[in-house]
Amino acid sequence: MKLKFYAFHLMPYPYIEKEPPAETGEYSTWVTIPNKNFDPVIAHQLYNEYLDQLVAAEHFGFDGIIVNEHHSNAYGTMPSPNIMASHLIARTKNIPVGVVGNALPLHGNPVRVAEEIAQLDCISGGRIISGFVRGIGCEYFNHPIKPSDSIGRMWEAVDLILKAWTEREPFTWQGDHWYIPNVNIWPRPVQQPHPPIWMPGQGSLETIRNCAKYKFTYMQIYSPQWFTKKSVEMLRAEANKCGYEAPRDQFIAAVPTYVAETDEQAHREAKAHMQWLFNTGLDIPDQIFFPKGYMSKASWSGVASAMIKHGVKNPKDLTYSELIDQNYVIVGSPSTVREQIEAYCDDVGAGGLIGAGTPFGPMPNWMAMKNMQIFAEEVMPYFRDADGMPEYMKKDRPAFSTNTQRGKRISGTDKPPLSHVEGLEQPIDHRTAHLPEVIDPSWPKAAE
Amino acid sequence: MTEIFDDSVLEQVPIPKQYYVEPNQIEIAGLQTAYRRKGPDGGNGEPVLFLHGNNYTRMWLPLYERLAQSVDLIAPEHPGFGETPTPPWPLNFDELVLHYDEFRERLGVDEVHLVGYDLGGWLAAEFASFYPRQVKSLTLITPMGLRLPDHPLIDVFKLPPDGLVQREFNDKSAMDVVTQDPNSFEETVFRYGEMSTFGTLVWAPRYNLALERRLQRLKCPSLVIQAEDDRIIPNQLAERYAEILPNASLTQIPETGHAICIERPEETADAIIKFVTGGSS
Repeated sequence: MKLKFYAFHLMPYPYIEKEPPAETGEYSTWVTIPNKNFDPVIAHQLYNEYLDQLVAAEHFGFDGIIVNEHHSNAYGTMPSPNIMASHLIARTKNIPVGVVGNALPLHGNPVRVAEEIAQLDCISGGRIISGFVRGIGCEYFNHPIKPSDSIGRMWEAVDLILKAWTEREPFTWQGDHWYIPNVNIWPRPVQQPHPPIWMPGQGSLETIRNCAKYKFTYMQIYSPQWFTKKSVEMLRAEANKCGYEAPRDQFIAAVPTYVAETDEQAHREAKAHMQWLFNTGLDIPDQIFFPKGYMSKASWSGVASAMIKHGVKNPKDLTYSELIDQNYVIVGSPSTVREQIEAYCDDVGAGGLIGAGTPFGPMPNWMAMKNMQIFAEEVMPYFRDADGMPEYMKKDRPAFSTNTQRGKRISGTDKPPLSHVEGLEQPIDHRTAHLPEVIDPSWPKAAE
Repeated sequence: MTEIFDDSVLEQVPIPKQYYVEPNQIEIAGLQTAYRRKGPDGGNGEPVLFLHGNNYTRMWLPLYERLAQSVDLIAPEHPGFGETPTPPWPLNFDELVLHYDEFRERLGVDEVHLVGYDLGGWLAAEFASFYPRQVKSLTLITPMGLRLPDHPLIDVFKLPPDGLVQREFNDKSAMDVVTQDPNSFEETVFRYGEMSTFGTLVWAPRYNLALERRLQRLKCPSLVIQAEDDRIIPNQLAERYAEILPNASLTQIPETGHAICIERPEETADAIIKFVTGGSS
C-alpha cells in the first residue's frame, strides 16, 4: 500500500498552570488562560526548536510539512500560519508546505488570504498546499465575528478566493458578507489553476459534502477509527452523488504516531505527551469549544446525540488506553506501527496520515527527532516505491529557479521588458536602458 | 457530526416545569410570532408591550400575571426565542424593530408603553429611538446596549451551563422555579438555539454607539429599573441610560440580582404599573 506522510506540529506552549479563572470558575487551555503563562523568551527558543524539527522533515523524507492557525491558547501557538510557512519555505528546498489552514471566516478580507497564499506559492515555486478552515469554535471568542455567521462567511470566502486565483481580469465581488469593488490579485499562484486545497473536519456532513463538490482533500482531525471511517464513507457517497469516484488521496487522517525500538519503549516515551495533547491541550469546556451558533441547532444536536449514543468522550477525559484502543493514536515498535498504519488506512480508506512520526505534545527535542528518524527509516519505506522517494521529488516543479530559465522564458515571448525614457518617443528594452547609445540620439557626437 | 439523531427534537418546544401557557400566534411578514396577552376585564387597560430578555421564555411569569391585573400586557417572543421560530432573514436589531412595529400595528395598538428587560431593554431602546411617536413611555429593566469603557459586560457565552443562571440570581429560591432540568436533551438543544439567536444579535459589538444620540428623539417619560447587585450587566449601564434619556427616572429594587423580574416580581410589577398608569391604578 502506498501512503503519504505529512509532518505536523502544533507548536504547543506547555509551561502553564491550570488555574480556573474567576469569571467562569472553569479552567480552559483555550481562550481564558491568561498569557501571563506565556514567557516569550522561552517561546523564542521553543519556536526555533519546533521549526528546526519541521525543517528536518524534508531531510527525513516526509511528503510535506503542515502548519495551522489557532488563537489564544497553549495547545497550538501559530495565530498566523502563513508566517510559519514563509519561514519553512525559506529553509527547505523541495518539500511541499501546507497551511492547513487559514481560518477564512475570521479574516476581514479573504482576498488577503488569496494574496498571501499566492505570495507563498510564488516564492516557493509552487510548493504550497492551501488549507481552508472555519477555525474551531474557540477562535470566535477572540474575533468580532458572530459564530452564527461562520458557515456563511466560510463558503463565501472559499468562492471568492478560488475566483481571485483563477480570474485573469479584475472583477467586483458582490457577496452577502463582503463587497469588494476590485478584486485583482498580484501576485497570483504558480500552481495552476491554484494550489491543492485541503479541508480539515470533524465529520460534519456539510464540510464533507462540500469537499466532494469542490474536490478538496478532506482531512479528518483527531478521532476514533470508527468515526474516521464513517467520514470516508460519507465522502465516497457524496463524491458519487457528484458523479465521480473519490480517489484514496482525497482523504487524509490526522493520527499522532510514535515509534521506538520496542512496543514497551514506545509507550514509555509517548504516553505523557499523548496525554498532554488530549487531556491538557484540548481541556476546553463545551461552551468554549462550541460557542452558541458555531454549529446550526441541527448539527449541534446531531453531534451531542452521537456523542451520547456512541459514548464519544470529550478529549480531556480520554484515558491513554482509550486513545490506543480506539486508534486515536498509534504507538509501538517499527513493525507494530507499520502493521497498524496499514490496517488503519486499509480499513478507513485513507491515502495518507498527518502527524504520524512527527512531534506531538510537549515532547523534548531529542524524542521528536528520534521518532522522526525511526519513522522515516523503518516505517515510511514500507509505503514507498523501491527508490524510497517521496512523490514530489518525481514530479516536475511548476517554476524554475535559475536566471538561465528566466532568460529563456522572457526571450520566448514577444513582450520584452519595456521602459519609457524621457526624450524618447518609443519605449526601450530596460535591460539596456542605461546605455548612452540607446537613450541619447545625439551619441556619440555629444560626447566628443 | 454524523447525522445520528432524531430530527423531531429540533421542532420541539420543551414545556417548562412551571408557568407554561400556550401562546397566541400571529403571522408577521411570514413569521409565525408567538405572544401572550392578558389584561384587566378582558383586555382593558393601558397597552404594555413587554420585550423579554435572553432567557425564561415560554412562561407566563408571576411578573406578567401581576402586570396583567392592571394593564393590557402583551408579551411576544422574539424571533428565534421561545415559540417564535428563527426567521429566514438576517437577524439584527433593525429587523427586530421593524418586526415589532408591524406586530404593534397588527394588534391594532397605536401607541404602547414599552418595557424591556435585559436584551429586551436594548431592543426597547432601539424601537423607541426609531418610533418615538408610538411609545407612550419607556421602561428599561437591567438593560444592555450601551458602551461603558470602564464597565464591560461579563461574557455570558463563556459561562458553564448553569453559570448564567447562577450569576443572574442572587435569590436562589426564585431560581429553582424557572430553571429547567439540566439533564433534559430537548431543553439543552432548545437553549442552544435561543443562545445562538442571542449570539447573532449581540456577539460583537455588545452595544450600539448610535443609541445615546438617537434616544434624544424621545419625548415620552422613561423609567430605568436597576438591580441591587447585578452580576451580569453592570449597574452603571442602567445609570447611564437614566442619565442620557430625556425625562427619565432611576429606581432600584432592593435585594435583587440581574433576574430582578423573577426574584421580585411584585415590586418590579408595581414600579412599572405606577409609572405607566401615573399612580392611578
